[in-house]
Amino acid sequence: MSPVRPSSEPLPTGAGRSGADAWFFCLRILGGRYAFEAPLVTEVVRLGPLTRLPAAPSFLPGVFTHRGEVLPVLDIGQLVGQGAVGIRASTRAAVVHCGPWKVAVVSDGMEGLVLISRRLVEPPPAESTGLAEFLSGVARDRQGTIAVLDLPRLVEAARSRAVPHGSDGR
Amino acid sequence: MNDQVRELLLYQVGARTFVSPVADVLRIGNLDDVALGDLVEGTSLGPTFGRERGLAVATGEGAESVLVVDQVLGVRRVPESDIHPLPAFAAAVLPSSAVSGLVLLDDTPTLLVDLPTLLRERLAAGPARTPPPAATA
Repeated sequence: MSPVRPSSEPLPTGAGRSGADAWFFCLRILGGRYAFEAPLVTEVVRLGPLTRLPAAPSFLPGVFTHRGEVLPVLDIGQLVGQGAVGIRASTRAAVVHCGPWKVAVVSDGMEGLVLISRRLVEPPPAESTGLAEFLSGVARDRQGTIAVLDLPRLVEAARSRAVPHGSDGR
Repeated sequence: MNDQVRELLLYQVGARTFVSPVADVLRIGNLDDVALGDLVEGTSLGPTFGRERGLAVATGEGAESVLVVDQVLGVRRVPESDIHPLPAFAAAVLPSSAVSGLVLLDDTPTLLVDLPTLLRERLAAGPARTPPPAATA
């Protein structure tokens, strides 16, 4: 239930606070470091007990209540076929708004906010499998490589892949 | 505070508890007198442990079917404020629209099931509405 706060890590070398910099929210999924635009994240929460939904796709392991609101959990690893993020009592999730959708993205660990110079974000690799399909770029800081996700496209892909039941899904 | 109250029927399918509006249930009873063809199992709620009780539900145009459940636990009066719609994203990716929301029962989220929709979806999916008779022994 902690609000999003900047990481205590030093800023990447050469990434000044100019207009070319941007805050990203960084988390770890299945051994990799991933980030997405920080304004999408409203808060980081600890998952409560999950309620499974009948016949739900694997990337929707359940829903949970948070401050009286029911939130769906999104497992990005399952969505891209790279395995499930282990969900346990200590698991935290980033609550994100992507267009009309509000979801809680689970991860193996949260790094928090990182400041990245947009000039240092390189194009994603040409491969288009798994999570690489949803990358908008690749950046680096002192801790290594960060894959920048196009989260709205990822969430929309989840919706469209689920083959909704004869509606537009809204 | 002008919180309306809804009457919900609690029942179990397998190990899980579900709730549905009482008004959607025509009758509750044993399965002995129900024609095999009227029984509905294998819904998205999951398999039953046994074939103990049935919920008769109108499925439209005068037709009715009987959902097989394991136990009927009773009726609860629940304030509307404890009933939450299914999150939009979950509703968009679920293959069934039978789960219409969640109800907080003693702080535990319990799935609110639209029984007519559940049965219509199962019936539309085709035959095998019940397991072979041998499974009832």
